[in-house]
Amino acid sequence: MSRLKTALGGYAGYQGREGHLAFLLHRVTGLGTVLFLTIHIVDTALVYFRPELYMDAVALYRSTLFGIGEVFLVFCVFYHGINGLRIAAFDLFLKKNWQIQTARSSVRWTLGLTLLLWLPATVIMVRNLLIHNFGLFGG
Amino acid sequence: MSAVNLEKRRSFDQIAWNAMRYSGVLLIFLAFGHVLLQDVIVGVHRIDLDYVAMRWANWGWRMYDLFLLAFAFAHGMNGVRQVLSDFVHQERHMRAVNVALLVVWLVVTLMGAAAIFGGVRPVQ
Repeated sequence: MSRLKTALGGYAGYQGREGHLAFLLHRVTGLGTVLFLTIHIVDTALVYFRPELYMDAVALYRSTLFGIGEVFLVFCVFYHGINGLRIAAFDLFLKKNWQIQTARSSVRWTLGLTLLLWLPATVIMVRNLLIHNFGLFGG
Repeated sequence: MSAVNLEKRRSFDQIAWNAMRYSGVLLIFLAFGHVLLQDVIVGVHRIDLDYVAMRWANWGWRMYDLFLLAFAFAHGMNGVRQVLSDFVHQERHMRAVNVALLVVWLVVTLMGAAAIFGGVRPVQ
C-alpha cells in the first residue's frame, strides 16, 4: 500500500510543469481509451456471437450519458495520438528536442493541435446528440 | 535472478519500447480515421447491424478493422502493463500481472478477429 502511495504521490507532487501535465494526460487518456476499447471490441463481436444483443449495446451508446462520454473519449484519442506522435518523433529522430524549453513549447503545441481537432468534432457530435436525443435542429 | 534472464528481459522491454512508438504512429492513421468516420461523420445513431454488414461487405474495411484491432489492443494492453509496473514492484506479482494481461489480450483479440472474419450473422 505504501508503494501505491509513493507512486501516486509522485504523480501528484512532482512539479514538472508542461512535461508533468503531458505525462499525466497521456496516462489518463491512454487508460480511458483502452478501457473503452476493451468494451468496444466485445460489443462489436456481438454482431457475430449474439447479433440479437448488438442493438442493446448500440442503444446504450446512443444514450445522452454515453454521448457525453463519447465526446471525452474522442478527446482522449486525439490527445493521446498527438502527444504520442510527439514522443515517438523526439525519441526516434529528434532526441535533442527533449531539451527543456523545446519540450515545454512542444507540449503547448500538442494541446493546441488537440483542441483544434477536438472542438470541431465536439460541435458535430453534440449537434448529433441534440438532434437525436432532444429533437432539436429538426430532429 | 541470473544475468541471462536480466539480459532477456531488457531486450523484450527494448522491443516493447520501440513497438509502442512505431505502432503508435501507425495508429494515428488507423484510430483517428476510425474515430472521425464512425463517431463524427457517421455517428452512433446511424450505426446498426445493417451498417456493420454493409461496411464489412468490403474486405478492405475488414482488413482495416483487423489491423486496428491488432495494433490498438496490443498497444493498449502493453500500456496497461507499463502503468502497472509503476505500482507493482515484486517480481512474482508482476509476473502474475503479465500472465493476466496476456490472457485478456489473447481472448479479446480472438473474439474481435472471429467477428471480423465471421461477419454479421442474421438475428434468429
